[in-house]
Amino acid sequence: MSKKILTVDDSRTIRMIIRRAFKAHDCTFVEAGNGEEGLAVAAKEKPDLIILDITMPVMDGATMLGRLRQDPDLKGIPVIMLTAESGQDNVARIAGLGISDYVVKPFKDDVLLEKASKVIPLALLQAA
Amino acid sequence: MQTTNVQVIGEVCELLNSGISEVFSTMFSQSVEAISPPDLRLTQEVLIAGSVGFVGEANGVVYVHLTESFAKSLASGMLQMPENELDDEMVNDAVAEISNMIVGSVKSNLCDRGFPCVLTIPSIVRGRDFGAEASAGSERASLGFQCGPGQLFVEVLARPPQ
Repeated sequence: MSKKILTVDDSRTIRMIIRRAFKAHDCTFVEAGNGEEGLAVAAKEKPDLIILDITMPVMDGATMLGRLRQDPDLKGIPVIMLTAESGQDNVARIAGLGISDYVVKPFKDDVLLEKASKVIPLALLQAA
Repeated sequence: MQTTNVQVIGEVCELLNSGISEVFSTMFSQSVEAISPPDLRLTQEVLIAGSVGFVGEANGVVYVHLTESFAKSLASGMLQMPENELDDEMVNDAVAEISNMIVGSVKSNLCDRGFPCVLTIPSIVRGRDFGAEASAGSERASLGFQCGPGQLFVEVLARPPQ
């Protein structure tokens, strides 16, 4: 069954890289450029997984995650955080936010796929 | 003990070597070598600079300069799209993200070394003849890197803690 993934990142480049990483898998994508948009898209689309950047304008990823966890309809959606900061303090902080996993940028496609597949079952697309 | 600009500049320059190597090896499978800071203006090309600031116990800005043609080739590699299908906005966004990854790596290590700080949102400047100048009380350093077929000119400005 196709999985719906919401990517929330202010970088269009990163959103395209994520979409490309899953191209062999049966997934559909919805996107948002900041946390505020991300909450609205999550409420409308009810994704199976959210891939969420931390540092964004308007509303950052940590704030969006906090709001998500307070919403009875959305709090069960698994979240993988993306961060450009691999420092010990940052990793400890985001690990405590109630996430399924995190990926440090720069990342290779297979690292993201491996982590996502541990959170939701990913099926390969059938060859035409 | 108060952090000095000279300390910050030294730490950032050292960390940029590993940060740039990590980004280019992971994203582009390219090796990186430190070189003398190149004068990219001699190329007569449009130049693009991605800048990301860090604020906290260490304060400053890192500018990552490259030619438009090198930026396009990197964006093409990141997005796996032909260069002729990339618009300026896509190239700018790719340079902003590369700068963010590089300075994110530097910032992480600065924090681990006892200089807690946060990053600013990346921004982009385009033009043919521009550079960063240190204001009073600031320190400036410039570095060069050969990254596969292209070069980066990197400027670091450090300001006293606020």
